[in-house]
Amino acid sequence: MESTETANHNIHRSRGMYLLGFLTKYYIQSLLLISVAILAAVNPYFRSMGNLQNILLQASFAGIGAAGMTLLIVSGAFDLSVAGLLGLCGVLISALLPLLGAFLTFFAAVSLGVLLGSLNGVVVTKLRIPAFIATLGMMNIYLALAFIWTGGSRVVSISDPGFNSLGTGALFGILPIPFLAMIATYLACYGILNRSVYGRCLRAVGSSEVAARTAGLPVDFIRILAFAIVGGCTALAGVFLGAELSSASAIMATGYELTVIAVVVIGGTSLNGGEGTLFGSFTGALFFAVISSALNILNVAAYWQYVATGAFLISALGVQALRSYIVVQ
Amino acid sequence: MSNAVASHNVRSSLSLANATRLVQVAESLGVFVLLVIVVTTASILAPGFFTYTNLTNTLIAASITAVTGLGMTFAIAMGGFDLSVGSVQVLTAIVVASLISIVDPPLAILGAVLTGLAIGLLNGVLISKLRLPAFVVTFGMMSVIRGVALLVTQGQSVMITKHIEFGLLNNGKILGLPVPFFIMVIVFVILSILLKNTAFGRHACAIGGNRAAAIVSGVNIDRVTIAVFGLVGVTAAISGVMLASQLMIVDATLGTGFELQAITVSVLGGTSLSGGHGNLIGTVFAALLLATIASALNILKVISFYQYLAMGALLIFALAIDTARRAFIAKSLLSRS
Repeated sequence: MESTETANHNIHRSRGMYLLGFLTKYYIQSLLLISVAILAAVNPYFRSMGNLQNILLQASFAGIGAAGMTLLIVSGAFDLSVAGLLGLCGVLISALLPLLGAFLTFFAAVSLGVLLGSLNGVVVTKLRIPAFIATLGMMNIYLALAFIWTGGSRVVSISDPGFNSLGTGALFGILPIPFLAMIATYLACYGILNRSVYGRCLRAVGSSEVAARTAGLPVDFIRILAFAIVGGCTALAGVFLGAELSSASAIMATGYELTVIAVVVIGGTSLNGGEGTLFGSFTGALFFAVISSALNILNVAAYWQYVATGAFLISALGVQALRSYIVVQ
Repeated sequence: MSNAVASHNVRSSLSLANATRLVQVAESLGVFVLLVIVVTTASILAPGFFTYTNLTNTLIAASITAVTGLGMTFAIAMGGFDLSVGSVQVLTAIVVASLISIVDPPLAILGAVLTGLAIGLLNGVLISKLRLPAFVVTFGMMSVIRGVALLVTQGQSVMITKHIEFGLLNNGKILGLPVPFFIMVIVFVILSILLKNTAFGRHACAIGGNRAAAIVSGVNIDRVTIAVFGLVGVTAAISGVMLASQLMIVDATLGTGFELQAITVSVLGGTSLSGGHGNLIGTVFAALLLATIASALNILKVISFYQYLAMGALLIFALAIDTARRAFIAKSLLSRS
């Protein structure tokens, strides 16, 4: 009798733990589902096709950058220069488009992103400067170059029907092309992180740089490559953003670094490095787009977006701290 | 035998301390020499640089940066950072500009300083109690406070029309020197005493030098962390008040990139990002250097975007020097032990 009671109690407890475990593991996914369900139930405009498409579109701009950033954060570094890098790629696209045509411009922009990303990596690893402060300086340099190129915060146009359809087109008239690109980016990054030797190296460097170095891994090269991936992803996001807006300016992505890092962190990737979840970042990007769409619909002043983004970043970190506390318990 | 080892250890640790001090002196001197060179070059190349008016303006600009830079030096010595100072500066400038139409200037200034203190303490609490990395918390706070500043002003600018004697805080002269310079000197003296001669300052350096050792020695890490971030908030608020009295019209877009300047002057002045010590006088010289460069570029009519570029390059340069210095100290440690 007594033993059955204990067993029952144990089952009860393990169920509770299971639920708790599930919620702590998939909290961002649950949060996304709940907020979408509530918003769709109370607001007819929110569940309209146009708005849902717009959410997917907005999610893909931050999401594509966040995919690369997840890999970099797993390796134990950061890149705060992405807003400047994106602006520079944007104004370059505008200049190259009439010369090279849509196809080559696309590759030129992504290559420039990879190149600038590698430059960040070299500055961080070879000059041994902490990543976030080095990339903060690089952000200023990229922004300045973009400003000089355009002669100020002037908006330059990106108009080429083929190129613009990258941003405005949709598969079957439903799924925006940038969203498809986002899915492709995440699949590629998932392959890199979880199914390749390089991914294992990334995690090794992120968990313990000293151990990785001792084991003979080329730590600097691994990091530089991760920075290059971030640069490439950011430039890709810049391509779609520029194509969608059909314009570009140096400041087209102000605050992008904050959004991207917030997306990664809210998705559950730890800033300590060594592990990361791309599924979490994917969901995080969607969650951010949903919240920002809700703020728009509710007619909240645009300035609240600043407050919301920052507050989300800090509270996501708080939730992570709480989660690791629960896991330890 | 053991005596010989002990004396050898003492000697090597002494010579290490000497090497470190030598590097530190060389560093302040280095920035000072650089400052003299830049001032001389600017005086020759940029006609109108070496005039009373321009020098005064340069000194005012340097003082505003230096005040926050001094607070930042304290935080970096503790192994922390504050990326929210630009937003705090603009919010407190708005607070003082708004309050001054209601209350007397001293009360308005007090309101601004308390706002800065409150934000700084909040940063400190989040960092120490939730054990979150300083730069992400202050990065998030940078966005939050900027948003609050935009919300408070609704994107409009706030003009100071009442109590225009508030401008004396900027234009006033004592012995021919502008008031902001004296504010900076007062902040410098207070922070120097705090850093070198109080338990609080030594604890802050101890945390930056070796956190684990500081915990074991019974330093109350949380309390020191919260106090240091509170201090940074106050210095940012003082810079905000100085900015408001300089411009007399403020809006929420001011102060972007200010955090970068504050960190640059600290590191350029010889405070290592690895923490453990703060070079306050170096910070002051570096702020003067930065303001001189900006003023010379202005007179030479170099467009402001290039100043952005110079700023970023200077930061990377200062950080590279910092790395080289750390390598040098590590090397002398190895060769002497």
